[in-house]
Amino acid sequence: MGEIPRERADSFEQVLRQREAQVLRTAFRILGNWADAEDVAQEVFLRLHRHGLDFANDGVTGAWLYRVTVNLCLDRTRSRRPSQELPELPSLARSAESAILIEEKKQRLMSALAMLPTKERAAVVLREIEGLSTAEVAAALSSSEVTVRSQISKALVRLRGILTREDV
Amino acid sequence: MNENEIRELFREMRDEPIPADSLARVRAAVDQRIHQRPWSSAWKLAAALAMAGCVVAGLLWLKPGKPHRQVTQPEMAQALSPVEIPPPPEVPTRPAPRPKRARARPVVESVPVSIRIETPDPDVVILLVN
Repeated sequence: MGEIPRERADSFEQVLRQREAQVLRTAFRILGNWADAEDVAQEVFLRLHRHGLDFANDGVTGAWLYRVTVNLCLDRTRSRRPSQELPELPSLARSAESAILIEEKKQRLMSALAMLPTKERAAVVLREIEGLSTAEVAAALSSSEVTVRSQISKALVRLRGILTREDV
Repeated sequence: MNENEIRELFREMRDEPIPADSLARVRAAVDQRIHQRPWSSAWKLAAALAMAGCVVAGLLWLKPGKPHRQVTQPEMAQALSPVEIPPPPEVPTRPAPRPKRARARPVVESVPVSIRIETPDPDVVILLVN
């Protein structure tokens, strides 16, 4: 009872291997830590297993995975107690090497990203980091393209503001 | 940091590797939970069946007796025929009572009686009433 047929298990395994990085990376960028991202990724793949793999094509599978990932991340951030303290941005002053500098900039950008409202953050992660089209982001967030464009534009303005303030 | 720089950093983040141990943990946890599922489902099913059994047993236990059915004469005769009614215990010392005159049976006239059964004891008559 409940034992999945061999053929389906193999293809589930295949999808898991193909998409685990996508799911884990998206969850990490939205949630900001690996532990939560791992929990979300597990839940996403369990849901995929329950749902089955009857998707029209790989694109639809990917979109479904993005949608479920984002929804689970939103649920998780909603259930968390809102933190009053903002994450501290790493200082720029210490490093001299450019690689380290870029790494620090990324860290600061991630910290600034964590300060955005969750939906804006999710829109930026899907559009700018995952490279989805506006329509795909809108589908993943169950909203309109206009809303997504507006969220991304607002988010970029906020990010610039946060990072400029910290630079001074 | 301007908008182009931000976008450039985001693009670089796209290619960042995922920690291998995170991937391994996710795979292991998914695998474990998928294979745990049949057992947990079986336990849930067993628990549900046990609970249903308890409910049915409880209902049977509390169920009231069957409603009275009017018994017809042949049925009653058939039912009584194989049963041997034991003779009343003999009382050795007392003299046999004088035969009494039959007293008027109080119930008989006022209540419609469907079946009347005489027993060896002249004072005991079984009346089945509608």
